[in-house]
Amino acid sequence: MLSVNAFSLSLGDKTLIKDLSFEIADGQILSIMGPSGIGKSSLLHFLSGSLSPNLTTTGEAFLNDEALHTKATQDRKVGLLQQMPLLFPHMSIIENLLFAIPADINKAERITMAQHALEKLGIPDKANALPKELSGGQQARVALLRTLLSKPDYLLLDEPFSELDPALRRDVRAFVLNEIRQANIPALLVTHDPEDAKAMEGECLELGIVK
Amino acid sequence: MPLKHAKWITGIITLLLIFPIAIGLVGTLLPAFQYFPPLGEYHISLAPWRNLFSQGEFYASLKLTLITGIGAPLLALWLALSLLAWGYQRPFFRKVEAALSPILAIPHAAMAIGLLFLLSPSGWLVRLFSPWLTGFDRPPNWITVQDPYGVSLILALVIKEMPYLLFVMLATMKSIKARESLQVGQALGYSRFTLWRKVLIPQLYPIIRLPIFIVVAFSLTVVDLALVIGPNTPSTLAVTLLRWFNDPDLSMRLMASAGAISLMLVIVVVLAGWELAHLLFSKLTRAERSNGKRFGLTDSLLRLGVVLGLLALLNAFVALALLPIWSLARRWRFPDALPSQWTWDNIDRATPLLIELTSNTLTIALITTLMACTISLVMLETKRHDMARSTDISKPHLFDWLIYVPILLPQIGFLFGLHVLLIYLNLNGDLCAIIALHLMYVLPYVYLTLKGPYLAYEEEYLLQANRLNHQPWRNYVLVKIAMLKPAIFTAFAIGFSVSIAQYLPTLIAGEGRYSTLTTEAVAQAASGDRKQVGSMAMLQAFFPIMVFWLAQFIPPHWTRWRLVLKNLFSRRNKSCSV
Repeated sequence: MLSVNAFSLSLGDKTLIKDLSFEIADGQILSIMGPSGIGKSSLLHFLSGSLSPNLTTTGEAFLNDEALHTKATQDRKVGLLQQMPLLFPHMSIIENLLFAIPADINKAERITMAQHALEKLGIPDKANALPKELSGGQQARVALLRTLLSKPDYLLLDEPFSELDPALRRDVRAFVLNEIRQANIPALLVTHDPEDAKAMEGECLELGIVK
Repeated sequence: MPLKHAKWITGIITLLLIFPIAIGLVGTLLPAFQYFPPLGEYHISLAPWRNLFSQGEFYASLKLTLITGIGAPLLALWLALSLLAWGYQRPFFRKVEAALSPILAIPHAAMAIGLLFLLSPSGWLVRLFSPWLTGFDRPPNWITVQDPYGVSLILALVIKEMPYLLFVMLATMKSIKARESLQVGQALGYSRFTLWRKVLIPQLYPIIRLPIFIVVAFSLTVVDLALVIGPNTPSTLAVTLLRWFNDPDLSMRLMASAGAISLMLVIVVVLAGWELAHLLFSKLTRAERSNGKRFGLTDSLLRLGVVLGLLALLNAFVALALLPIWSLARRWRFPDALPSQWTWDNIDRATPLLIELTSNTLTIALITTLMACTISLVMLETKRHDMARSTDISKPHLFDWLIYVPILLPQIGFLFGLHVLLIYLNLNGDLCAIIALHLMYVLPYVYLTLKGPYLAYEEEYLLQANRLNHQPWRNYVLVKIAMLKPAIFTAFAIGFSVSIAQYLPTLIAGEGRYSTLTTEAVAQAASGDRKQVGSMAMLQAFFPIMVFWLAQFIPPHWTRWRLVLKNLFSRRNKSCSV
């Protein structure tokens, strides 16, 4: 369970978010909506530990009652998925997946895990293809599986569907929802598309302008 | 790069950059005022200056330096602008961009030797028209190269600098939206050349000011090129100073140092004058730009520049082609256009020497360039670090200023000042010293080539990699460096060619104990043994071109090849286990 307690965000003397609190259970996806520039992405950066220095925040975040906000990024075990799939262009698909699988698993097991992921994606023949040879929808799915293979404790999604064709979006959303439920970790989705929020079948918070 | 203590590293690198510059300057300045402990001179005096000003040769050399040092950049700029204006919208011009980099890679000494073979009285140009047109059966008694006015030196400088300026200009075209401006202007009925003159060149100039300054400073101070193809007695100031510095009478060094200081002042004055002239010129032409005339007389100036520019390029290619021909010639009597007998003997005979020169050259170039690449990466990483923290992104970084100093200062004088330090450190004549001096000139070019792509890198890839598995150093190499491969390879090729071309740093730090292809080719250029000089110059040009070609060819194929190799091996492993 991921919980955020009394989170506030300000840029200079301008308050963007005030006293935001929520909880996300394992396998659930909370959607956060709001106009751009409201500080949605900054909330994700707060949770992943990569906030830019000119923003000031207060508040706490806990994962299963363990404080997150005091930990360094590398100790947080966070998965982040952004608009761009960020697949490494100079590595094949299977290398991209293997990159994420923890190194303490033995080699044969790692390869089986990566191949299993490829089968789940329906592209077992593309193991040695390069990312640019895949369609946008396929790249988005590979990116999600790559993130999940790194065994994160919680997942942050920063408008991961907005670059996709509308026709593809439905499939990818369903895929994401299904995978997160199977991984059974809390996930936070930031979006400005109400369809995204609806498809995630979870709670939805709408942020407004602080007066 | 997961650097810790970025501030400290910035400080240390800054000191390392400033230290040799300061030593070199002080080491020139003090002897210029008679203070030179190695010769037992401990008193400040103006005697070196009085000696300098009483030398007639100083004034004659200074005049030649001013003629060649201002003439060549002006011509190069004119021809480069003309060629760009003429070709930019033509489809074939994109290929020109790719073809330019090998020309840039060729060491200028090799180019000068090629020109010598082409233009001298017994050169290929006269042979081509003899005897059927000129009636000569022996070389005429003309002075064509090494002429007393420095015309051949200007030509050699233009051939070297024009492609560089063209290359720099092509790289900036996108940022001034040239294509769009041309479309708008042509729709208004302006001729192509007028548009360039009135709209694009005024925008282009401020962006390429620094490369132009580098070209001016180079033209005013070049030594090796002037030794090969420049005028003799008097020669240009830089060459005269080199002779004074090397004079067996060590007290000449004091006067030479004063001369080196005046050469620095000449650079400052010429650059200031250049800027002033530009300011005046743009003031005067400001009204003319918006007078609505769609054509102009000056269009023909650009048109003439195109013809001359193409001629200069043709000259360069023919000159290069002559290098291998000479090295393979057995009998080549005047006025035959080609050798009557061919042979490998020249190369065979020179092989032991060539192998030694080549191994020296490559050792120095490879070590220097690898070091320059590593240092540049560290410098750029600390710069990126600073930029990510500061709110004012446009603020120029300290490195960006310091890095230009060695290439703007004249090598002559400055390097002799450093040589005194090398003697104190007991490093004179050592390979380390040669590499250190090369590094001073290679590092700026590598840094400047890497800067753009490195800072434009999408850092999110690396951040994502670090979230997926936290091994920052491994990820830096496997993700960021691997993705920047094309830029790093190009920077390596440029650094490599800069190192190969170095003449004075090798000579001064090596004290003649280490000869490279460049120092030997320049030393023997005047000897008249064209067959041997041709072989050296050919090798000197061959390696940089080869490395440039590899740097462009390898990166796009790297990943494919790597995957093919990997699958080959994994398949073999599988078949073994079955």
